[in-house]
Amino acid sequence: MEFHTLDGNEAVASVAYRLSETIAIYPITPASVMGEHADDWSALARPNLWGEVPKVVEMQSEAGAAGAVHGALQAGSLVTTFTASQGLLLMLPNLFKIAGELSPFCMHIAARSVATHALSIFCDHSDVMTARGTGFALLASGSVQEAQDLTAIGHAVTLESRVPVMHFLDGFRTSHEISKIVALGDEELRALVPRAGLDAHRARRMTPDRPVVRGTSQNPDAFFQSREATNPFYQAFPDKLESVMDRFADITGRRYRLFDYVGHPEAERVVILMGSGAECAHETVEWLVRQGEKVGVLKVRLFRPFASDRLLEALPESVQQLAVLDRTKEPGAQGEPLLLEVSGALMEAYSRGERQTLPRLVGGRYGLSSREFTPAMVCAIFDELKAAAPKTRFTVGVRDDVTHLSLEVDAELDIELPETRRALFFGLGADGTVSSNKASIKILGEDTDLYAQGHFVYDSKKSGATTVSHLRFGPHPIRSSYQIRQAQFVAVHAPQFLERFDVLEHAAPGATVLLNVPWPPDQVWDRLSVEAQRVLVERKASLYVIDAADVAEKAGLERRINTVMQVCFFALADILPRAEAIERIKESIRQTWGRRGPEVVRRNVEAVDSALANLHEVPVPDQVTATRSRPPRVPDDAPDFVQKVTRLLLEGQGDRLPVSAFPPDGTWPTGTSQYEKRTIALEIPIWESDICVQCNFCAMICPHTAITSKVFEPDAVQGAPEAFETVPETQTSELEGLDYRIQVAPDDCTGCGLCVEVCPAKDRSQPKRKAINMRPLEEHRTVEAENLAFFRNLPPVPRDRIPRDFKALPLLIPLFEYSGACSGCGETPYIRLLTQLLGDRLLIANATGCSSIYGGNLPTTPYTVNPDGRGPTWNNSLFEDAAELGLGMRVGLNQLVTRARQLLEEFRPGLPEALYSDLTGPCATIDESAMMARREAVTRLRDWLADQPGAEADELASLADELCPKSVWVIGGDGWAYDIGYGGLDHALASGQNLKLLVLDTEVYSNTGGQQSKATPIGAVAKFASAGKETRKKDLGLLAMSYGHVYVAQIALQSHSNQTTKALQEAESYEGPALIIAHSPCIAHGYDLVHSPAQQRRAVDSWAWPLYRFDPRRIDDGLPPLQLDSVRQKVTMKEYMQEEARFRMLELRDPERYAQLVAAATEAAHDQRELYKQLAGIHLEPHEHGESDPEEGERHD
Amino acid sequence: MTELATRWLGLDLRSPLVVGASPLTDDLDALKACVDAGAGAVVMHSLFEEQLVAEQMAAHKFIDSQINRDAEARSYFPESEIFEVGSHSYLRRLELLRSKLDVPVIASLNGVTPGGWTHHARELEDAGAEAIELNLYDLATDPSDTAATLEKRQLEVVQAVVAQVSVPVSVKLSPFYSALPAFVTGVEAAGARGLVLFNRFYQPDMDLDELTLSRDVVLSSNAELPLRLHAVASLFRRTGLEMAVSGGVHSGDDAVKAILAGATVVQVVSALLADGPEALGRITEEASRRLDRMGYNTLAEARGALSLDNAPNAHTWERLNYARLLQGWR
Repeated sequence: MEFHTLDGNEAVASVAYRLSETIAIYPITPASVMGEHADDWSALARPNLWGEVPKVVEMQSEAGAAGAVHGALQAGSLVTTFTASQGLLLMLPNLFKIAGELSPFCMHIAARSVATHALSIFCDHSDVMTARGTGFALLASGSVQEAQDLTAIGHAVTLESRVPVMHFLDGFRTSHEISKIVALGDEELRALVPRAGLDAHRARRMTPDRPVVRGTSQNPDAFFQSREATNPFYQAFPDKLESVMDRFADITGRRYRLFDYVGHPEAERVVILMGSGAECAHETVEWLVRQGEKVGVLKVRLFRPFASDRLLEALPESVQQLAVLDRTKEPGAQGEPLLLEVSGALMEAYSRGERQTLPRLVGGRYGLSSREFTPAMVCAIFDELKAAAPKTRFTVGVRDDVTHLSLEVDAELDIELPETRRALFFGLGADGTVSSNKASIKILGEDTDLYAQGHFVYDSKKSGATTVSHLRFGPHPIRSSYQIRQAQFVAVHAPQFLERFDVLEHAAPGATVLLNVPWPPDQVWDRLSVEAQRVLVERKASLYVIDAADVAEKAGLERRINTVMQVCFFALADILPRAEAIERIKESIRQTWGRRGPEVVRRNVEAVDSALANLHEVPVPDQVTATRSRPPRVPDDAPDFVQKVTRLLLEGQGDRLPVSAFPPDGTWPTGTSQYEKRTIALEIPIWESDICVQCNFCAMICPHTAITSKVFEPDAVQGAPEAFETVPETQTSELEGLDYRIQVAPDDCTGCGLCVEVCPAKDRSQPKRKAINMRPLEEHRTVEAENLAFFRNLPPVPRDRIPRDFKALPLLIPLFEYSGACSGCGETPYIRLLTQLLGDRLLIANATGCSSIYGGNLPTTPYTVNPDGRGPTWNNSLFEDAAELGLGMRVGLNQLVTRARQLLEEFRPGLPEALYSDLTGPCATIDESAMMARREAVTRLRDWLADQPGAEADELASLADELCPKSVWVIGGDGWAYDIGYGGLDHALASGQNLKLLVLDTEVYSNTGGQQSKATPIGAVAKFASAGKETRKKDLGLLAMSYGHVYVAQIALQSHSNQTTKALQEAESYEGPALIIAHSPCIAHGYDLVHSPAQQRRAVDSWAWPLYRFDPRRIDDGLPPLQLDSVRQKVTMKEYMQEEARFRMLELRDPERYAQLVAAATEAAHDQRELYKQLAGIHLEPHEHGESDPEEGERHD
Repeated sequence: MTELATRWLGLDLRSPLVVGASPLTDDLDALKACVDAGAGAVVMHSLFEEQLVAEQMAAHKFIDSQINRDAEARSYFPESEIFEVGSHSYLRRLELLRSKLDVPVIASLNGVTPGGWTHHARELEDAGAEAIELNLYDLATDPSDTAATLEKRQLEVVQAVVAQVSVPVSVKLSPFYSALPAFVTGVEAAGARGLVLFNRFYQPDMDLDELTLSRDVVLSSNAELPLRLHAVASLFRRTGLEMAVSGGVHSGDDAVKAILAGATVVQVVSALLADGPEALGRITEEASRRLDRMGYNTLAEARGALSLDNAPNAHTWERLNYARLLQGWR
């Protein structure tokens, strides 16, 4: 028996890969990893079971992947795919086809919530339940072991039955859980998978040698019969699955049934469920049975075709109360799907007399969006079943104070075996905590007899993220499919966590607590808050400390503390002898990083070796001595909603909020990121007013709006904090007489250093001292926080006073601030600039991706409001439909405008003439004076309407704001614009609507982790292009230009903000569709983003990223519509490419191929340059506006 | 015609003109052209200690630290791309040059600390390097580092590298030693076989507009040659090490002067970068004609003819000459 320690995704992919020839995928969380593994193995030429290397193709969407799957099946190939959530929904039409054609096919779903009022990447079964009518068999697995095994069983049974199989495992909980499992070897798979089924599948392939037609259109006379003709296949399926499961048991010793019952043989109370929750129920039932309770759990493996007879066989006759649990919600249904199936089966059996009693049946929902499902909840359900009148429909895991469906749960209940060691680790995203914990699990799983489990929780921030690792080890198999609530070991890898949330909440009595803090051991106790001390004292914890950052720094690893902390864990957890543990850690470092290079290994090993000498025990006194409490998570002056709801979400206590706290329709306030002080920078930029030249480049480039500049009336600074320095504004004549200041937001800065990088002002005697310089946070935090509070409240000067040029624009109030984007993000400055130009008149339709996560992932949002309360309004629909969403917004809004104007016309006879004319003249969204005048006129209109009787006056008052024009912008990444959303984008452009589309082009799928898109340039290494992309980047701009009526620009803010600001304003002023393609440096490019301005300049100068603007209005001026803003090629393509790891890694691995691709990229740039130069030189006759017949126009000439 | 064949570090070279360490390493066609034009050997550009370390650590920081930090993105690059940022590509280049060029290929290492990186010397040998040129490029900026400390450290590096390999090792020095002959004695004792005099510091220039330093590379001119001639002439016969002149050789006469000073081989770089591989043919041709006209049958006859030991007015190499020039100027 061979044990492997791996996660559910890898376990599934490993089997599916070996049993497939063609794999068509599209990335989607949490299933992306399965496709990535397949791609990696294919790139490494790992063969499948029959010695072929499977072909992995990444498609433009899941709809595309499903189409490719369908085609490959028709060609006779063995096929698989991996997806989740909306991805599965996009596949549905093809799934009906594939099942309708009885094609043997097994796909794997990491089950994930379908977006409703909000997107969620987490687990429930709402996605697979939408597929229950497709004709696919639905197989559910509940653990990593089961996921692997049911993958094999699924692939085998589909070949035997011709019914396609959808196997699902719970997203994150199973897909990302690392577990020690018994691995399936090739020989076992060979014995399981029927050769005859494979041959038969191939024999049915489409071939002109034996032509057939499929996919016909059928009329009422034929369709129905054909559908009914498939019945025998579904009727036979349960038997076939059972026989495969039996064969599997013979081969491996692990037995599965369609329904697996666990519990008391004469159970009176039983729960039925599927997925990972069944493991928790299994564990709880065993515990309850040991206490003498007559309870049981029935695990559903096969949900479709629903085998009622097997269900009834498996369910003890003794059952009196039955709870069926669904991990999905179908609003308005009689019950959720599993409840309905079970209830139907029981009713039928009872009505036919096959079952003598009908147990009392109730249905419950649990675990939506990965809400925890714990033994306490299972017990609560069993308790409810004991009640005289249990709730017929209930929820568990939420506190429902609105419809009162929820069950009470004993939060303190802990049934875990004491032999199972439990450890919790709080880490920073970039400090390597999760990586080293994964390594620890592998060490313990593969080098000892212990069972091991690891589950990892990430917040949704892309900079300064918090990770929590839950590790269990023990002598018994681990079924605890829920987070650790009582940990014997708690490690806090960053000192700021102690101040941010209750990290010691889950420390068990007698726990060992390990802190990484920069303080001397003898000062640690006194620096802890009352709350931290209280937990340590009350739970009689042992406290250990280490300055791991110092150890790592000395070993040359900067802040990467993970190996240091890993050593301390092994030293304190006492699972392995210390020396052995340290040797295993070193071996794991050598294995993981050996290929990266000896220096990386040497430094990590050095850190390992110096760790223990720096680990100190701190005695825990008998009583709390601190007087300082943990600071409040949000300031006292935060709005009520932020205090009541956001604060708990920020403290990690959102689970405790009741249903009534939440808006039922997904509507949330903006302007909340200002209350989420994350304090993640070690150094922040500090302004030197004497050197500053007031160029505002720092404010222009800051990815987090953490450094801003402002002008204000000099007397506005009365009462300012002492350190609040200001200088007269000297750079812009329009702003003469005003004062100026640059302000850092110390708790919001991520320390990326871009502001200092672009600062052009230098101290002439010491040029390394600039007008802003990175200085230690701790020295400046308090002062700058006070300054910021004052700065934010300084009254802004009227917007029309600030010139709209690239140097002055950053002085406009940003309405996008403090996002959770990556440190150094190249996307966010574009969004902020857009909000500065248009934020108070802006509707945003945002495609799913990075920009929807940092833009709209709870707990807070970076979009905010100006002092008038106006600001961007934002919505994210899906990944693929942002352009359509925006188009709909535009069209819908236009209808309201039309109605408002219609009403205005009706009221015209009574309206003062001046007011009417103020409300009807031209008013462009970028004409600030006109906008201000129009708003003022609307206020006058409302005042006037207040005295007018009738419903129409009320209606006009409610629509009057629409007499001020609005901008609709669509924002998304290249995955949206070039791939999945291209059809919609194209249609929106073609529509001619006044709609602006901003493509934040990182040239790769950033949010899901670096998969290639059609924006990926030649030569770049990306997932699904691991040998370097061979084809040219799609020229999206040129495609848009081909319409002739679309304003198109390609921009690069970090290096050419002047052109950027021109393009954005031209696009906005253009009465029609506009497409802006924005170069967005990204961590997926693999270099230090502090150099992104220089690197972006190389991109522009090499023509990897030409700058241009295509303005159809220019034709009327007798000019070519296209103007090139970068004409010459100033650096070679190679000089550009060698600076980024995505290109460089290919050079290191395959220099010849790299050279070829550099040459190809050079040629591509050359061709594009030659074409564009010609386009920029063409002359088009100005259009004869109003002439519909071009020939007639010619006759007039 | 003068027989140009010579031996350098125990390698048979058909000509003393050698392509010195330079970016030409990356241009196989240019190197082939140099060999066709008569080059006796090719020295690859240096495998830089700092470069190896910096790039490895940068990859560790900017790629590896992004792994497992986000729920949606497990990483940002394919897993099969945990590529080695080390000597791998250099070694493959070395193997390629060895297979494509029919003259000896000498690999070059550049480092100043005797740490873990010296094992790369063995990798170079295993990949087919016929000799190793060790570039001791050290900049003293720490006031507590004495000349003795630095020299001791450098000799340890030489020793460490020599201990790693069985192929011969030459050592490339900077001109800035107070007591060059004594240091060279130490280099010899450390086990080196040859000397390359001198490396050229790519000293940064200043950008007065931007008030910053610029990194433009300035090619050598033959004004830099006399410094080399002086050193080689002074060391000839005073060291058992074979010597190469590197820096300032742009013409046949420059090469001949180097040989007369005592050099066994003459490295050319700037002339090739400026004028292309043809320059090597030109210099060879000019040197060959000059030596022939001077009546030398072999290089050995010419080598060191104008060294401190052999020159008719050898004192001109020494201090006395300096004093006279000054007086003459006055």
